[in-house]
Amino acid sequence: MSDIAREPARDLRDNKLEQSELAALLLEIWRTPSGWLGSLTSVDHKVVGKRYILTAFAFLVLGGLLAVLMRLQLAGAERKLLSPDLYNQVFTMHGSTMMFLFAVPVMEAFAVYFVPLMVGTRNIAFPRLNAFSYWTFLFGGCFLWIAFLFNVGPDVGWFAYVPLSSLQYNPGKRADVWAQMITFTEVAALAVAVEIVVTVFKQRAVGMTLDRIPVFVWAMLVTSFLVLFAMPSIVVASTSLILDRLVNTHFYDTASGGNVLLWQHLFWFFGHPEVYIIFIPGTGMVSMIIATFAGRPVVGYVIIVLSLIATGFLSFGLWVHHMFTTGLPQLGASMFTASSMLIAVPSGLQIFCWLATLWDGRPVYRTPLLFVLGFFAIFVLGGLSGVMVASVPIDMQVHDTYFVVAHFHYVLIGGAVFPLVGAVYYWFPKITGRMLSERLGRWNFWLAFISFNVAFFPMHILGLMGMPRRVYTYTPEMGWDHLNLLSSAGGAAFAASFALLIANVVLSLRSGALAGDNPWGASTLEWATSSPPPPYNFSRIPVVTHRDPLWAGGGNLPVVAGLSVERREVLLSSIADAEPHTREASPEPSIWPLLTAIATTIFFVGSIFTPWSVVWGTPPIAIALIGWFWPTGSKEDEE
Amino acid sequence: MNPVSARKIPLYWLGLALGPAAWAINLQGIYAITPYACARSTSTTIVLSIAMALTAASGSWVSLRAIRRDIAAEWTETRGGRARNFMAWLSVGCGVLFALVILNQLTAALMISPCLR
Repeated sequence: MSDIAREPARDLRDNKLEQSELAALLLEIWRTPSGWLGSLTSVDHKVVGKRYILTAFAFLVLGGLLAVLMRLQLAGAERKLLSPDLYNQVFTMHGSTMMFLFAVPVMEAFAVYFVPLMVGTRNIAFPRLNAFSYWTFLFGGCFLWIAFLFNVGPDVGWFAYVPLSSLQYNPGKRADVWAQMITFTEVAALAVAVEIVVTVFKQRAVGMTLDRIPVFVWAMLVTSFLVLFAMPSIVVASTSLILDRLVNTHFYDTASGGNVLLWQHLFWFFGHPEVYIIFIPGTGMVSMIIATFAGRPVVGYVIIVLSLIATGFLSFGLWVHHMFTTGLPQLGASMFTASSMLIAVPSGLQIFCWLATLWDGRPVYRTPLLFVLGFFAIFVLGGLSGVMVASVPIDMQVHDTYFVVAHFHYVLIGGAVFPLVGAVYYWFPKITGRMLSERLGRWNFWLAFISFNVAFFPMHILGLMGMPRRVYTYTPEMGWDHLNLLSSAGGAAFAASFALLIANVVLSLRSGALAGDNPWGASTLEWATSSPPPPYNFSRIPVVTHRDPLWAGGGNLPVVAGLSVERREVLLSSIADAEPHTREASPEPSIWPLLTAIATTIFFVGSIFTPWSVVWGTPPIAIALIGWFWPTGSKEDEE
Repeated sequence: MNPVSARKIPLYWLGLALGPAAWAINLQGIYAITPYACARSTSTTIVLSIAMALTAASGSWVSLRAIRRDIAAEWTETRGGRARNFMAWLSVGCGVLFALVILNQLTAALMISPCLR
């Protein structure tokens, strides 16, 4: 060790060190600085990923509490728990929180944590951008919720249609808060999408060719492209709405030549891919869980990847099915009906591949797999009602009724939340080093599965009976009270299932069984390192020679040698064949991403009050960015 | 790979490019020209759909040529490691799938008058 330490700095490579020496040096280089100030500077993808996951689940709890409030209000006819105004805020906050602050961020959060581990690299691409993304997301979410607590919560629904959200019908700042929260979360989502794409394309382990990429990574790659192409549309929409409200532009003012339908086109061009931005990662999780618990590679790898890509493309051709009642030409609408129905084909292909995997494997029914089986049942039902509402005549009848509410909860909770909770049970041992309780997990699953159906299935019938969505109450003569009471009881039990999950997490963190590196006997690279992983992920970068590297060759992975242990360094590889190209420095911890996010927050919040914030809000961001990129003479700046 | 064999390799990724592109043109094209087709009683929408379905299918055919020799091997092995063949299979599937979507849209164009609102 002493001889090596005297060598010139840039000559010290990992192939010259014993394992224990290497681990000690890598730990020193890659660790997050200690103390609370140090923690604010962290650029470790696992630290940021954990923060993202915890914050997103905190927003899930908040959004869930609002759902419970709504169900209490609707449990009987003419209940007076919430006023009409507060009810408007509550359902808007529920939808906005769940879509923008929970569903999308939590999927990206899992990608931030696991994609670098799965592709065998030491950190995500652009790690400071990653930290900036988290802080921006956090501040945007807090901005929305603080506004709500001060009675300035948005009350225009999660898609904020104009003219309802225009200044004429919505004076005050409620609609502005909604629109600017969108900007926060979209900036954060776009940043993560860029990081994931670059990480997957350029930082894969040597030998991880395109056909050896884990399915979850493929899913996140497709999702990231969806984010890149869908989010700009909503950024344009929300910004133009703020401009209409703040500086009197006329994008959506029909009296001055604007067009209210432009809002719907812009919103749903984002809004429908958004559904798949949430769903596609869920399918990636399902593929990982099924392969592990069936004990065999997933059947039809090519078909599953094809389905992910095709679903990604098709998701951009469905948006008009949200607008069937706006008087569009029927032929134009039918084009979107055709696409909406045919997107069931790739989804169906995936389901058949998963069933074949289970059929041909030896499934072990642990909690993660139970949640996947729950996903099958619920998502297929949601898909069937989706095919129904893709048809114009049916959609005309049930549009804006509780039938649609039932449909999208079956799709989103069945398609994303059930796989997500399964993924929590599956990856919790890797993140924390401890197993979740299997007994509590089974209780959790059955309570969630049964209560979900009790809560949401009656909504189909309520919708067919004519109950519109977003009504704060109804009269006893409508005959909706019994089904609503049943739905509310199911909703309360569904909330209890999440309390059970939280209890399981807390108890297991304190006294759960130790997990070991690979407790499930899984095949992908995240299980090739310790639980929880060290700051450098892998002491030696693995070489991949098989699609399921830990199941091939007795689990003995060849490794790459020759990386520097004098600076943070990652290995870049080619896009298709993952051939090694070059060694690249990875940025060190920095406080500037946090400061930039603070400056961005001041700019964004100020700009809903005065257009002059563009003038005085820009210099602080510029200063923060200069500080961010200023050469410091540290090892990361060396060529 | 020598230059001669490189020239013989068809565009294995073509189905992946042509399928979605043809579908997007068909979707947006018909959506845009519906008023025109109504005013002039033309069959433009049908012609467009047929052309785009053939375009998507041709992408699949070109991609299929790139992998014909490796069909058996690809379906029996799970090891991976042949990225080009994998992409060609993806492209074949993509072209076929999007041709199917376009044909579904063609069915609508055959049944629904462009003037119907």
